[in-house]
Amino acid sequence: MQKKIPIFPLIVFFFILSVFFYLLIVDRNPSELPSNLINKNIPTFEAKSLISGKKFISTKEFKGETILVNFFATWCKPCRDEHDFLKKISDKKKVKIIGINYKDSSKKTVIWLKNLGNPYSDVLVDKKGRIAIEWGVYGIPETFVVNSNGIIKYRHVGAITGKIYKKISLIIDKNE
Amino acid sequence: MVASIGNLALWLSLIFSILQIYVSKKGKLKVISVIVNGLLISSLGSFIILMYLHIVSDFSILNVFENSHTTKPLLYKISGVWGNHEGSMLLWILVLTIFNYFIFKLYNKNNSLLISKTLKVQSLITTGFIVFTIFTSNPFKKMIVEQENGLGFNPILQDPALAIHPPLLYIGYVGLSAAFSFSVATLNLNNKENIAWYTYMKPFVLVAWAFLTIGIAIGALWAYYELGWGGWWFWDPVENASFMPWLLATALLHSLIIVEKRKSLQAWVLLLALLAFLLSVIGTFLVRSGILTSVHTFALDPSRGIYILIFTAILGGYSLLLFGKKSKNYFDKNYFNFFSKEGSILINNILMTIVCATVFLGTVYPLIIEAFTNNKISVGEPYFNATVVPIMLPAILVMGVGPLLAWNRNKKSEILKKILPSVLLTGIMSLIIVSIYKSFSLIGTLGVILAFWIISNNIVILIKKRKNFSTGMLVSHLGVGFLILGITASSVWQEEKITKLKTNSSTEINRYSIFFKDINEVVGSNYVALKGNFVVYDKEKKIVTELTPENRYYPVTNIYTTEASIHSNIFRDLYIVLGTGNKSEGWVLKIYHNPLVIWIWIGAIVIFIGGTISIFKNLEKLKKI
Repeated sequence: MQKKIPIFPLIVFFFILSVFFYLLIVDRNPSELPSNLINKNIPTFEAKSLISGKKFISTKEFKGETILVNFFATWCKPCRDEHDFLKKISDKKKVKIIGINYKDSSKKTVIWLKNLGNPYSDVLVDKKGRIAIEWGVYGIPETFVVNSNGIIKYRHVGAITGKIYKKISLIIDKNE
Repeated sequence: MVASIGNLALWLSLIFSILQIYVSKKGKLKVISVIVNGLLISSLGSFIILMYLHIVSDFSILNVFENSHTTKPLLYKISGVWGNHEGSMLLWILVLTIFNYFIFKLYNKNNSLLISKTLKVQSLITTGFIVFTIFTSNPFKKMIVEQENGLGFNPILQDPALAIHPPLLYIGYVGLSAAFSFSVATLNLNNKENIAWYTYMKPFVLVAWAFLTIGIAIGALWAYYELGWGGWWFWDPVENASFMPWLLATALLHSLIIVEKRKSLQAWVLLLALLAFLLSVIGTFLVRSGILTSVHTFALDPSRGIYILIFTAILGGYSLLLFGKKSKNYFDKNYFNFFSKEGSILINNILMTIVCATVFLGTVYPLIIEAFTNNKISVGEPYFNATVVPIMLPAILVMGVGPLLAWNRNKKSEILKKILPSVLLTGIMSLIIVSIYKSFSLIGTLGVILAFWIISNNIVILIKKRKNFSTGMLVSHLGVGFLILGITASSVWQEEKITKLKTNSSTEINRYSIFFKDINEVVGSNYVALKGNFVVYDKEKKIVTELTPENRYYPVTNIYTTEASIHSNIFRDLYIVLGTGNKSEGWVLKIYHNPLVIWIWIGAIVIFIGGTISIFKNLEKLKKI
């Protein structure tokens, strides 16, 4: 018994290191945060549309097609970085992107979209960040993929990069 | 030009460090002396040069460009040297070589074998870190095009507490490297030399432990007043990475006493010394590889992660294999009574190790789950509070009794007699505190009783001046008592109020009324801010203090920060954070009433003082052998 004990720390040590090693080399993204909402229905919400000025009711709109939900703000620099990818998604994939304008000035947002181009099918105003709380948003930008049954399939925290763009495209294709 | 000299100095220290590996075992004393000193001077040189480059804002250097700006105050230009990954590695190396120097200073005829082996291990570690720095994180890398100004330094890091936090913590981590080296050297000696390795190891462990304590406390203090969440500990992976080595260092420190007095537990102590440093390195890995998401995460770079991981594997693989092969030489059959100082220290050891394992599990569990099932989970505060607190309680209880027990011989009736005065004092003080806060939560009451138990125990002995007690130990334990008091009261009895308030109106918290006088724009040295003016009145309508929380904007880095405004006294902190808002609707305010928080910081300082007293006492001991 006593002979076996001294080697025990070594075994535990290498077990843990191999976990670390595996996670380092495997293609992963630490900012892909766990979400309790994955594979669940989207939270229901109502908001004012910045574009039409009408009331947007989630239960009516999320039906029959894959939709991207993107939380953004004009004051957020990474949002500017990912903007081109959003345009690419809306052009190439022909999916609706609903932008949720988080704690922002509507005036600035309109100018921003005019200058950079508008990938969104609709932009909703979330001045107080209530919708973001419902969706469990961690920090903006943040993007969700919602399938045709209104179920959240994917969540990404942070700006969309080339790699994430490919991943989102794959998920959209799979859900169509 | 200057940067090239810095780079040269860094390469020189690599050469010295490699030379030391070969020379330390068989070389002549003079040669070793030249190499050890050369290593110290060259690493100091490269560090000072990097500091100089930051002070003069030489933006031809990538590291300075990325982390500095001409408008930054001098203090933060200096602390900016170790506020980034590359520069902090240089500080690591410097501290490593300083400890290397002090190990060499212990060298004499009687211990030459142990010290030379220790120096060899120490130089292996140093070489590993220098290679890492030069090849993956060289701070002297030049810019392709020289820039006019730098990118600036994260403003929430521009803070006096955070300026000294990393150096203190590194002294702690690296101090454990000396314990590691001594442990490996001792295992290699096969216990034939009959040398007091533990007496050599102890001052280093004491230094590491004392500095870890104060370093962690200052980090917590910073989080408390800077992050504006009203709390001071968040079980963030990086906080855990510093807490775990601290727990093992605590266990190590205490069991070294048993080894010294009884020659018992030797193998266990050798293992603890290995694990404590390995955990420090793993902590570094977790922070700098980007494998975990944390508020502390440095710039992410997988190649760095792979390097540190391989280095950790070599260090851990070698030392733990050595332990597996040789530790039987240090198994001993010196048993001792359970109801004795040794017995209580053993319990302390077991509990500290269990807490450490618990924290470790909570920190890496999400990673293990992800590796095996591809699911992501997060482990947070509820887990840590639910597991760590109940294990710590008995440890604290034992801590109150342990030092009172004489070494190895005790009748139970005698123990009772000894502790009577402290029992009385504890009862009175606890009654007073609990009746002030009129709250009878189990954990709160228990925590306060235990805190006063330890405080009164140690004060009683300090006053009686019993000779067979170490003053350093008593002072440190007194500090732990204060610490527990502050932790318990501030976490159990904290009051929080989130409200919206217009100017010229007031709100209440606890027994204070807070009046919102006005709000103004102010301009600081490198920021602009909104500053609220609040007047705090007590029940008798007397002015207690004025509080001025700010919302700052730093244009260079484009970052907003909140500056909490805090009024402290020995009973409570009043803590205000200014949120968003406007003139017509009012501003969102977060107000906290935090009882006894200041005792956390006082406790940490007292522990540090106690540690320092013990360091000097142990150095005296070293001179005698």
